[in-house]
Amino acid sequence: MNTLFRTTESPFLQYLNQPSTSDRRRRISSLPVRIGLGRSTRTGLAKTTTRMMASSSSAATETVGREVLKKGIADFYDESSGIWEDIWGDHMHHGFYNPDVQASISDHRSAQIRMIEESLSFAGVPEDSLKKPKSIVDVGCGIGGSSRYLARKYGAQCQGITLSPVQAQRAQALAAAQGLADKQVSFQVADALQQPFPDGQFDLVWSMESGEHMPDKKKFVSELARVAAPGATIIMVTWCHRDLSPSEDSLKPEEEKLLNKICDAYYLPAWCSAADYVKLLQSLSLQDIKAADWSQYVAPFWPAVIRSALTWKGLTSLLRSGWKTMKGALAMPLMIEGYQKDLIKFAIITCRKPK
Amino acid sequence: MRLLTHNMLSCNIKGVTNGFPLRLEVEKFVEKEVDFSAEFLRNIFPKIEWKALVDAARSMGYAELPDEADSSMLDSDDFLKKFHHALLELHLEEGALICPETGRRFPVNKGIPNMLLHEDEV
Repeated sequence: MNTLFRTTESPFLQYLNQPSTSDRRRRISSLPVRIGLGRSTRTGLAKTTTRMMASSSSAATETVGREVLKKGIADFYDESSGIWEDIWGDHMHHGFYNPDVQASISDHRSAQIRMIEESLSFAGVPEDSLKKPKSIVDVGCGIGGSSRYLARKYGAQCQGITLSPVQAQRAQALAAAQGLADKQVSFQVADALQQPFPDGQFDLVWSMESGEHMPDKKKFVSELARVAAPGATIIMVTWCHRDLSPSEDSLKPEEEKLLNKICDAYYLPAWCSAADYVKLLQSLSLQDIKAADWSQYVAPFWPAVIRSALTWKGLTSLLRSGWKTMKGALAMPLMIEGYQKDLIKFAIITCRKPK
Repeated sequence: MRLLTHNMLSCNIKGVTNGFPLRLEVEKFVEKEVDFSAEFLRNIFPKIEWKALVDAARSMGYAELPDEADSSMLDSDDFLKKFHHALLELHLEEGALICPETGRRFPVNKGIPNMLLHEDEV
């Protein structure tokens, strides 16, 4: 899940007019996890962490960095989930649109549903009563929009995991209100890199826009594969950077710079490409690996989110929100810039666990 | 957290080989009435670790389940009702899940387990 939108005050509007502000965050290049720990972070955690990092070994540094990241993610969603839900509803992911269509605000909900359906279709998830998924895990479940949708669609059991206690509570409450909490869906606070499930539990392993938050893509993908039952389908829909060309070792410096700014606002560790994910899946001997670039189908989304932020309701919600949410909103134009430069890609990667 | 969920959770602290089933520490539990569906119970039965369910139900004060069960018992209404009650109607609201190997406590608050590991457990 992603974004949040914020602030009426002039800084936001200035930002819209001057998209490239200087990067005030010191890029901590020694860490595998690249997150900004500048002065604007509210908690003392950041300052303490920076001091600790200066004196620790690199392994300890990475561990501390991970804990800071996880707390950052949890706090970000604890703080901003309610406001997102208030304006956009319970699906915290991009909509799937026909290319070159100007979507109105009422189209977005159905576009978000379409995103789920298109993903299932791309992955070839069976629908007949014998082969359809009976147990599903929603990795990075947000407030459970996908979990409830999939549970209802397949009549299946769904477990959702999120780092945010606020989201887990809300997900549970929504499930109860919709009559799904009794049997079908349940939510836990847990880490996608250490899923609290035994091996081979799930027929469908679903990760809708949560991969961006994972600091260790290899561990993330390994866990998805571990909890998948033989024959299960694994679906990842995630933000990636463009594939590197054969002659490239890394992105260009200005591309890295743009991504770092976005990382900072949304608590994203380093980005990877769709090709990197495909390689990881291949290394785990997963089958039927497919990947596609769906950037053109999500193009209306960020402009729509910005527009919703600039409504009366959006602006007043922003003003009442915390700093993390506001920072997220300020970063939205950066996402648009990233897509326009063909740097950011909206990717779907699916595969099957061998029987 | 109902026992259906408990039946699917395990402890994955690094190095732990026996992380299932988690023991229950019950501070507050509630009984919630849930619509009965024999078909649901018959479908889910093969996926349930029976002993884990029996022990968990007992720790919530419900001792009516037989120690062992096989699919022939699914024809018995009496069995299905007890299975239904234990699996779906007993909810741990406050307490903890305990790793059988390390004793580590995973808190349960407002019915939601927190399975996050600490830095040194990863």
